[in-house]
Amino acid sequence: MGVLFKLFIMFVKLCAFAFGGGYVMIPSMVKVSEANHWASAAELTDVIAIAGMAPGPVAVNAAVGFGYRVAGFPGAVVSFLGIAIPCAVIVIVVATFFFKAYNHPLVQAALNGLRPVITGIILYAAVSLAIKNGMILAAGNTLITGGWNITAAGVNLLEVKSLILIAATFLILIKTKIQPIFLILAAGVLGVFLY
Amino acid sequence: MAFFKLGAVSFGGGYAIIPLIEQEVVENKKWLEREKIIDIFSVAQALPGAIAINASTFVGYSVAGIPGAIAALLGNVTPSVVTVMTLSVLFTRISGYPAVKSIFKAIYPVVVGLILYAAYKIGKTAINNLASVVIAAAAFAASLFLHLDPIPLIIAGIVCGLVVHWIKTLNCIKEKKKGREL
Repeated sequence: MGVLFKLFIMFVKLCAFAFGGGYVMIPSMVKVSEANHWASAAELTDVIAIAGMAPGPVAVNAAVGFGYRVAGFPGAVVSFLGIAIPCAVIVIVVATFFFKAYNHPLVQAALNGLRPVITGIILYAAVSLAIKNGMILAAGNTLITGGWNITAAGVNLLEVKSLILIAATFLILIKTKIQPIFLILAAGVLGVFLY
Repeated sequence: MAFFKLGAVSFGGGYAIIPLIEQEVVENKKWLEREKIIDIFSVAQALPGAIAINASTFVGYSVAGIPGAIAALLGNVTPSVVTVMTLSVLFTRISGYPAVKSIFKAIYPVVVGLILYAAYKIGKTAINNLASVVIAAAAFAASLFLHLDPIPLIIAGIVCGLVVHWIKTLNCIKEKKKGREL
């Protein structure tokens, strides 16, 4: 009961602040999860990979996958309700009013301040996952075995194969309109040979 | 029913679904006009929550009231929830094998790349002047070094946006005054 209730409340809270889509929720999910000893950041990366692989909104997928990982099927259900219900209510209740307010200078000013913050937080989500999975600045226990790790002065700077994959993914997404699922599948095949 | 189909085809999050909703609702079903739907999308992106959910719920509501909203929401999320559950169950079964571990070693960087791309896409519309560069860098640094939670950062961002607006307005008034004095 305790865990399910915590999951539900966490996603209700995240939902109300998940401006700009699902990825902005990642840092909060990692934090709450580590504070409650539910799952490590590396395990959460699996959840996010699966969320990106499945069709549909990343926020919902991540919530359902996270809930399942933490508390099995009931966890998935409460996380889904936590992320879906408030959003739907906000949309229906607020949207009609918001339609009129949307072009108001103050609303636009607030959004102008909010969007760069979202950009910064999502950027942080990417960097922190890279660190926690040992792609950059790996701690001893997160060092990627079978990778090309570059170390200087006792600090694990980066793992070359991972960084090439990150750069390739980013560039392919900018240059083409390929669906992320194909990149994830291709990486899976590559992984068998790379590591 | 239409949203069930949309949910199933929209891989990779909210932005991918938008052109599909537009085609289905405006061209195939003729439920709404194109201008209306573009307004809906800009509002859906500005409100918190999953963009695809916001957009489809709102379209459903505009077309058929609250029942429409519920149908659109369920249709939009059912296929993805079922897929995520299946993948999660499957993954829990196979995650112990060494081959699966090497596969995921290569998938993790792709996930990082996907998130970077999400930041890039939002950044393209968000970062357009010096103030927004400073705000974005501050949010990034505050998360990384101070381990601040996103929620207070988002609230701080809203306050910053309003303050920047206020300063601009003050400057405008000053310049108008100067103009009059000259």
